[in-house]
Amino acid sequence: MVPISLSKIFDEFPERRYIMFGGKGGLGKTTFSAATAYYLAKQGKRVLVFSVDPQASLSDIFKKDIFGKGPTEIMPNLYAQEIDADRRVKEYQQEIRKKILDMYGMEKIPDEIESYIQAAAAEPAMEESAIFDEVVDIVVHGGYDYYIYDLVPLGHALYYLSMASVYDEWIDKITNLRQQMREYDQVAAVMKRDKEIDEDAILNELLYIKERINKSSGILTDKEKTAFFFVLTPEEMIINDTLKAAELFAKFDVPLSGYIINRVLPPELKSQQIPEYLKNRLAMQDKYLKVIDEVFKGQILASVPEMERDVTGLGMIEKLADKMFY
Amino acid sequence: MSEEKKKKGGFFGAVKEFVYGVAAHDSARFALKSRASMEHLFILITMGDMLGVPILPPYYSLRLLPYVVPHISTWKRRMLKEKDLTDGLA
Repeated sequence: MVPISLSKIFDEFPERRYIMFGGKGGLGKTTFSAATAYYLAKQGKRVLVFSVDPQASLSDIFKKDIFGKGPTEIMPNLYAQEIDADRRVKEYQQEIRKKILDMYGMEKIPDEIESYIQAAAAEPAMEESAIFDEVVDIVVHGGYDYYIYDLVPLGHALYYLSMASVYDEWIDKITNLRQQMREYDQVAAVMKRDKEIDEDAILNELLYIKERINKSSGILTDKEKTAFFFVLTPEEMIINDTLKAAELFAKFDVPLSGYIINRVLPPELKSQQIPEYLKNRLAMQDKYLKVIDEVFKGQILASVPEMERDVTGLGMIEKLADKMFY
Repeated sequence: MSEEKKKKGGFFGAVKEFVYGVAAHDSARFALKSRASMEHLFILITMGDMLGVPILPPYYSLRLLPYVVPHISTWKRRMLKEKDLTDGLA
């Protein structure tokens, strides 16, 4: 089994600037995100790796507290960011309050409205939406050659995607309603012979929201600019789940670029004196590597060995990047 | 000169108002009424959770909140008093 080289993919498709690693929790998405960021930065590209997971672990892997600190330089050309969703939600609430006070010259937010603002922020979807929104800011702001998304585990990632399409449809519907309302305004204005009608501020807001949502879901499904890699390990359950997830992702038009196998026990162990337990593990691994080879024929981009210790700190990241990109 | 113009405008203005009143006032009123119903429908789908009907992801409904603040109390009153056929059965 000779995997196609991962570095070749990056050389061949330099326009794919949005890089994502997907897969079940704990398989090494964050590790691969960090290693890929390291590799690209060493090639002289300006890279931002950021986490969309409220329980992010980029701080751990880079051994630097970057939570809520914006893009932080890890080494030349390599920046990392962990979004503080909680703080973003608070700032956003404050922004809304200020807008209401300014618009109506009020001294204080009416109780009813205030309790709505607080209840809305307590919704579980709020955190995800806030991160989603910040990602749009990051991408729109620009300034990097590559954006590496350290994604949430599969279920959440799918939730993200479906959220984008549900939002999109929903916004379309209410935008239509809003436009219809505008027509009634126009009818009334013509009959009353008013020259102008006020601009519909809500309609403009809706169009703005729509644009933001389209931007982020547009990136997730952009075949030219996005590369989505699946991470898996040679185990039966993981293979089955990955297959299922790949089907779902394909339904949402996510451009799958290939698969990376992680945690492969070095085969040279077999020729050494090893305990029965390890022999069994190796036999099992061989079996599932064959399955992977058949199931994901021609789409395996790299096979990364189980490392001798945790991948944290730049030294270990470099070591792993060498194994990933050769 | 300007006084004359104003007077003229006043006369035509009055005619205009009269014609509008006879011909179009009801239609305009109807258009505005439909518009108001739709406004309330709109608030229902964006702010529904205020009445216990969650519909929109709250992150984006908050963005719209400032614009509907003045309508909230009339909307609530209307939504809660609105009758439909099933009310007659009860």
